[in-house]
Amino acid sequence: MAGQNNRNSFYKILVVDDESAIRRFLSTVLSNDEFLLHEAESGNAGLAAAATVRPDVILLDLGLPDLDGIEVIRRIREWSQVPIIVLSVREREDDKVAALDAGADDYLTKPFGVGELMARIRAALRRSQQDVPEPVFSSGNLQVDFPRRLVSVDGQEVQLTPTEYDLLRLLVTHVGKVMTHSQILKQIWGVAYLEQPHVLRVNISNLRRKIETDPSRPQHIITEPGVGYRLKTY
Amino acid sequence: MNTDSKRDSSGAPERLLACISGGPNSEKLIRATRRLADQLGAQWYTVYVETPSNSKYTRENSERVWHFLRLAESLGAQVTSVAAMSIVDAIKECASRHGITRVVVGKPGRPRLKDRLFLPIHEKIIRGIGKVDVLVVSLELASDNGRKVRSTAMGKSGLISYLFCFLLIAMVTIACEFLRPVLDPTNMVMFYLLAVVIVSVRLGRKQAVVTSVLGVMAFDFFFVPPRLTFEVVDTQYLITFAALFVVGMVISSLVARAGERAEVLRMREVQTASLYYLSRDLTAAVDIQSVLNAVVRNVEEALKARLTILFPTGPGLDVVVASKGLKLDQYDCSVAEWAFQNGSMAGRGTDIYPASGLFFLPLRTPVGLLGVMGIGFEHEDDYQSQDYRRLADAFAAQASMAMERVNLAKQAEQAKIIQARENLERALLNSISHDLRTPLSSITGVLTSLKADDLNLPDQSRRELLDTACGEAERLNRFVANLLDMTRIESGAVRLKLEPGDVQDLVGCAIGALEPIAKNRQIVVRIEPMLPLVAMDMVLMTQVMVNLIENSLKYSPADSPVEIGAGLGQDCLEIEVCDYGKGIAETELQRVFDKFYRLPVPEGAGGTGLGLSICKGIVEAHNGSIKAENRPSGGLRMVVRLPLDGTGEF
Repeated sequence: MAGQNNRNSFYKILVVDDESAIRRFLSTVLSNDEFLLHEAESGNAGLAAAATVRPDVILLDLGLPDLDGIEVIRRIREWSQVPIIVLSVREREDDKVAALDAGADDYLTKPFGVGELMARIRAALRRSQQDVPEPVFSSGNLQVDFPRRLVSVDGQEVQLTPTEYDLLRLLVTHVGKVMTHSQILKQIWGVAYLEQPHVLRVNISNLRRKIETDPSRPQHIITEPGVGYRLKTY
Repeated sequence: MNTDSKRDSSGAPERLLACISGGPNSEKLIRATRRLADQLGAQWYTVYVETPSNSKYTRENSERVWHFLRLAESLGAQVTSVAAMSIVDAIKECASRHGITRVVVGKPGRPRLKDRLFLPIHEKIIRGIGKVDVLVVSLELASDNGRKVRSTAMGKSGLISYLFCFLLIAMVTIACEFLRPVLDPTNMVMFYLLAVVIVSVRLGRKQAVVTSVLGVMAFDFFFVPPRLTFEVVDTQYLITFAALFVVGMVISSLVARAGERAEVLRMREVQTASLYYLSRDLTAAVDIQSVLNAVVRNVEEALKARLTILFPTGPGLDVVVASKGLKLDQYDCSVAEWAFQNGSMAGRGTDIYPASGLFFLPLRTPVGLLGVMGIGFEHEDDYQSQDYRRLADAFAAQASMAMERVNLAKQAEQAKIIQARENLERALLNSISHDLRTPLSSITGVLTSLKADDLNLPDQSRRELLDTACGEAERLNRFVANLLDMTRIESGAVRLKLEPGDVQDLVGCAIGALEPIAKNRQIVVRIEPMLPLVAMDMVLMTQVMVNLIENSLKYSPADSPVEIGAGLGQDCLEIEVCDYGKGIAETELQRVFDKFYRLPVPEGAGGTGLGLSICKGIVEAHNGSIKAENRPSGGLRMVVRLPLDGTGEF
């Protein structure tokens, strides 16, 4: 993967967080031969660094002293599509949804494990560098063949309604990323359906029944309570 | 007002007492005393002694007295009015009660006839008062307008009443004429006396005097031989005339005075009764509002007045209660504020802002001013009435005391509540600090032992230590999350974000969140197919399910499964979490939802004691219910019921 980076052999990661303990921890964990870490301790410093450093991934804390994290996301999104992963101690789902709707790619609630962090960073990098989607998506026992519009579980073909297929395709194209309820509703059903969340619940429930081995313990479509859904890869 | 009194040579503060008679010169006496008090820097008092002999001019006199007392009050005196038999004794008693050092009395500039015959009153006071100094102020005798005032004395005036006297005497005379054959002339006098008594009772003193004169004349003219002339042959009859006249006068005087006293007593009786009713109502009042209502009701009845009470709120005063239809304008409010700030009465009937629509008096308690009471009397005269003023004062004092009592009771109650809350908070703090410290100690222990260079731990031990630390950190995180949830639920800061929720999704999320602890356990899920979506806050309900499942995992043997079920109940969605543990004693089933309640589990499962109370809070916020019950086959069953009707809105 590192070979794809033609500027140098490192992925540049920008950490925007006002807590020095967190920055130190991240720099210890992320400073290896794969990543190169840049630090910013305020929203404005982060915005400046994002322009000068041109990072491959931004880790952004929502609770910054000078600027609201969501405002930082909005300003970066004005000119860049760099993956942004939000780090927040806030337990409030509203903040996560606002960050995702503002353009953040993913979020991690503090405290988080290193494994989780690495997985999210890698997934974000993978998404951002994959210009042309693979024609066939495969994860665990699930396989989606886009050219043939064919979905199969454990090699068995599964019949999906057009809406279910669109829903699954949307999740697959954003694999690993949380899609908020409103993002999904807007893209599949249109803006008029934003206030009709039950449509989404019913379709997710039906989709799970068809592709999950045990719908009560979903392996593919993971619910992020109060936020949205994420397609997990294996 | 001058309240800081200087001390005289003996060290006791100077206190002056002005004794006023209610006569026209009283004002001069008051002003003289005030000047003296100012010079001495002394406190001063003004007293009016009401005796049977000077109460005969009740109304006009008392109005003048009242006026003088108000004047004295406005000049800074403390005023009292006492009723007694003897002026000297009353003043003596008053002086000793207030610790008076000097008594100030007036002396007429020119001695009157009465003063020549009897010992003048100031002389009596000087002789009777004992060791207190008496200052005698010489008073010019002002023009005797007092007497003029008196001359319009009480009783029915006018010709009609005198005509009645005349008719009565005529009737008595006619009756006596018929009785003449059987009655001795001297006994006829009794009938005339009867007429005098009737007139004095019914009409008043003057008419009685006229009646006795008429009676004497009629008796002389018609019955004393020689009849039909005013001549008297038998000089003995002169004694009869004199007796008839004097007895008539005396009786009329006595009857009139008795009537006046009866009137005064009746007034007092009414006042006492109204005060009694007020105090009875106030005793029954338990809060400020009922005290206020009782005061308004009683004052309205007793004084036939409209009433308002104002309490201080922030910068100004606000009306807290008022009689129907009583409105205060800007001016009244500023008068009320003056009364409150100066702690003295103001408004109509006083010398301060008399243009105000109401008479204001402060509500005073031993600790300070509570507020102001404003009274609007029915008649203009009532503002000047000493009796009404006295009664209003008494009402205000009673009301203040009752409010103070209610306030004190409330404070005591609040102190008790605060005490209880403090105890609870201390218990919570102890519990919380214990729950925070336990995992922290483990983590610190692990970290320090890993850091220590001289401890050559084998890799296996290091790994175990790290696992412990991670587990404890996880536990700490859950505890803090629970604590935050609890605080939010308790402070009412939780606003449910209701959305149509899928039970299967809910259960899935909960199991997913418990993956680290649940991975080695068997969790059986049985969800009825085609369950409707239910309105719920997914995040909070996930928290509920996580807590319930975590408890079940914790309090049941490691090799036993945990069963989760969902189905339709009576108008509700039922979600149950069952385990194969020991269950809970029946008596404890309710208490498990109490904050910081922990089951006595031997292996010390290390719960926070918050999980179930959070569940209860969240479920009840959804208008649902949560219940713990023992299963017949052993183990515990927790049932959450969520109302279905919430789905209607989707």
